[in-house]
Amino acid sequence: MQMAKWMRPLGAAALTLMFAQAGAAQETLKLGISAPMSGAAATWGLGMEWAAEQAAERVNEEGGVTAGGKTYMFEIVAFDNKYSATEGARNAQTMLNRDGINFIAGSIGTAPVRAMQALTERKGVILFNTAWGKSVKGPKYPNTFTQMNTPFEILSPFYNFIKEEHPDVKTVALISPNDATGQELEPVAVETWKGLGVEALASDWYERGTTEFQPIATKIASLNPDIVDFSAAPPTDAGSILKELEVLGWDGVMVMSAGTSVDSLTSVAGDAAEGAYLGASADFSGETATEVQKELNAGAREALGEPLNGITISAYDAIMALRAAIQKADSVDPAKVKDVLSSVRFESSYGPSGFGGEATYDYPQQMLIPVIVTQVQNGKAVELTRSNPAELDALLNE
Amino acid sequence: MWNRSPGLWICVALAVGAVIFALLATNPYNTSLVVWILTNAVLASALRFVLQIGELNIATAAFFGIGAYATSITAVFLGWPFWLTLLLAPIVAGAFSALFGWVTLRTKGPYFLLISFAVTEVIRLIYTQTNAIGGNSGLIGMFPPMAIDAYYPALAVALLAATLFVLYGVERSDLGRLFKAIENNDAIPRSVGLNVIYLKVLCVVIASAAVGLAGGVHAYANNVIAPSDFTYFVAILALAYVKIGGEGHPFGPVLGATVLTLVGQWVAGISAWENIFYGAVIVVTLLVFPGGLVGLAARARGLVTRGAR
Amino acid sequence: MELFVQLLANTLQIGAVYVLFALGLTLIFGVMKIVNFAHGAFFTAAALIVTSVVPFATVEMGMPLWAGYLLSAVAALVVVLCLGALVYKVGFQHVLKDLNGSFILSIGLLLILNGVYLAIYGGAPRAVPQVVPGTVNILGATLTAQRLALVIVAAIVTGGLYLLIERTKLGLALRAVALDQEAAMLQGMPYRRVALYGFLIGAALAACAGVLMAPINAVTPVSGDEFLIKAFIIIIIGGLGSVTGAIVGGLFIAMIESIGGYFFDPSTATLAMFILVIGFLLVRPQGILGNVE
Repeated sequence: MQMAKWMRPLGAAALTLMFAQAGAAQETLKLGISAPMSGAAATWGLGMEWAAEQAAERVNEEGGVTAGGKTYMFEIVAFDNKYSATEGARNAQTMLNRDGINFIAGSIGTAPVRAMQALTERKGVILFNTAWGKSVKGPKYPNTFTQMNTPFEILSPFYNFIKEEHPDVKTVALISPNDATGQELEPVAVETWKGLGVEALASDWYERGTTEFQPIATKIASLNPDIVDFSAAPPTDAGSILKELEVLGWDGVMVMSAGTSVDSLTSVAGDAAEGAYLGASADFSGETATEVQKELNAGAREALGEPLNGITISAYDAIMALRAAIQKADSVDPAKVKDVLSSVRFESSYGPSGFGGEATYDYPQQMLIPVIVTQVQNGKAVELTRSNPAELDALLNE
Repeated sequence: MWNRSPGLWICVALAVGAVIFALLATNPYNTSLVVWILTNAVLASALRFVLQIGELNIATAAFFGIGAYATSITAVFLGWPFWLTLLLAPIVAGAFSALFGWVTLRTKGPYFLLISFAVTEVIRLIYTQTNAIGGNSGLIGMFPPMAIDAYYPALAVALLAATLFVLYGVERSDLGRLFKAIENNDAIPRSVGLNVIYLKVLCVVIASAAVGLAGGVHAYANNVIAPSDFTYFVAILALAYVKIGGEGHPFGPVLGATVLTLVGQWVAGISAWENIFYGAVIVVTLLVFPGGLVGLAARARGLVTRGAR
Repeated sequence: MELFVQLLANTLQIGAVYVLFALGLTLIFGVMKIVNFAHGAFFTAAALIVTSVVPFATVEMGMPLWAGYLLSAVAALVVVLCLGALVYKVGFQHVLKDLNGSFILSIGLLLILNGVYLAIYGGAPRAVPQVVPGTVNILGATLTAQRLALVIVAAIVTGGLYLLIERTKLGLALRAVALDQEAAMLQGMPYRRVALYGFLIGAALAACAGVLMAPINAVTPVSGDEFLIKAFIIIIIGGLGSVTGAIVGGLFIAMIESIGGYFFDPSTATLAMFILVIGFLLVRPQGILGNVE
């Protein structure tokens, strides 16, 4: 089933040959993806690549994108950034100067994204990314656009909701992976909890690739906090800790800001994950999901063996934004596309969307999508509430 | 040593050609490619340099990182002049490696291999846990001065190529012969009154200063560095360059780095297939040409291969 | 007291897998004098096979869970042994006793195998249901029955290996070759065959660890690699090639992780572990039980 995916490069090559012989009726516009495609985070990169390919297919089936009197077909080229800055810089150099790519429709990892920016900003290439740090944004990086919600969007509404649901909670213990995302998220999380009158009893770090979580679980269980906040821990790690906590008899409020995949979480933790709150794990198969999301999600299950999540689906949204912006600018010049992107309106997988976030970042480069709070109920993510950023509400009422 | 080896003149011509190419080529991708190849060549040559005394030094990756961090910290936080920051890279890396070598070179073979591996991991973990130097996100903003910016690739190529020639020069000197003697049997140099530990440390320091400089050059070429750039895997790839190119000859690592970097770029963009393909190239080359590409070339010319085991 | 017992229980749980993993690695080193970086790939292969055979056996064939799990364990062992034999025949037998050559060969193999696992299984974590459900309380320490089962099976396997090494003819051959290969060959030992057996036993140990871990942790195509670095540290501490050393080292590292993770945090414990190893090696470069060369 999954092998089909690996045949695609061959198929694409064959198609390209055929088109070339047919005399190239349409122009091709290459969109780059730079994400981990090997190692522990491969599942994110492969998911993102897949979602991007679906988006490109859809755009092409709908007749491509027209600009300056020409019709362009999107083509996805995916690069493995191995989660490192060196590879990120190489990806950028190869994409921009070898393959002539002017639009990067998705990138994962703070360090590689920052390395790419050094080149993309200088050359004025559009860089869509999922990096969670504030450090990649601002007027200094006008060609960088964030394609998913980050802690600055998620945490305030998410924690507020939990505090409303559980007014008695007084203490929290945080567990973060020692990686860029964890380091970006943790201080914001501690601060936001403090603002709600919740005291952080402990904030612990673990190395990515840790397999045994009994020691940390034992520590947390003995502190006995009201809340355990798994901040940026990937779902499999959070699941392992939850399982150990259940064994040790801890029973409190479970919070996962980055718990991107409920399937992974429950496959590891089983019943121990029941009732956990998730801040970045929309349910793309439930009642509240859009038709597009349901279709994409079902397709991803078939092709990848797991559903999409907030990170992987973002490539679809970025490509829809790019299509709208290219058409509005009537040009494939990235400088012109960049100028219209901040004001463009497009149909994301969540519904109508645009860009905003000037109040937080001094530059409107944050894609406006709802913050969706879900809870694990009977092994599935069930949506409890969704809140639109004020700018998105304003946009919807235009 | 010059008149005895026409190959050396070819290498000088190649190096000059590479500098000119980096100066004149219009596509920045191509100039970057030359810089990557030479950076990898220095890493591989330095690894091979320590192999002369019979030790596989995984901490080559750590000293590459220390050089890069030394340059970046002084450039970004202290605003030191460009040349000074670049000069600092080999000095700091060399100093750290002297300490490292003095303490660890009492061990040998697999023990030294694994201890150098542990040191590399420790240093990387320290970067990630130090927020003052950017933690996991690393450091950003190492740009060469405006006046040099356009010529930076050519400068980088020139510096790295010069480093390669220095390593070659040391290897062919009397000092290099002593290193070789240690590999064969360190009791013999000791019996004639040489301080073997001192010589081993010196060997590691020379190699580490070379990769330190490469690290500094890398920092300016990449503009961004992060702890994940300096895992033990950097040294492992360098060993792959050495093995594929052939460790019997100083040109082997350079050839290996060139071939594997080009192969790596050739397969870039095919997403997850990259690793399978890259791994297959390593395995097949290793098994089919045990002496590496240099060994193959030597055999093809009917010459006796030197030292290829 | 309760805390002490819990920390001890944690140590044993963590240590059991480490010991199995490190034993294979140290055995292969002892016999072949190679550092096998692809050792984790055997672990991963076994665990992945369990995750695909168990659902097939229980759902498609209607077997009870325990039977499906046993079947998957056999299948995993067979496949890993075949994989091990293939890798040995094609690759490792050409680089015996070549530390650097075998090291880089194992890296190449690791890249290929990880890529293939990813292509076949995708990157998503895969899980199988717990075969032994429930939790157990021992002297105030709680652990899952599944973990307890793992500790017991690991102890049996380790004991079996110990007997095999100490009491059988094959064990004698393995020890002789590890001690002095040339002398062993002069005595008429078929070195290549002994090396193959040593390699296969090592692979089988990794497969055992993989089979035992599959119902406990989710399995991904890189699951095994995450044990590899710890296993390296363990065999350095225990002394390369020493079976007893791998057991002592495994439990020692597990203890640091258990206690350090509790009193500080896991990240600090990891760092402490590396620094300890370096310090340890400087005092005793040959490991706890290694022989001076």
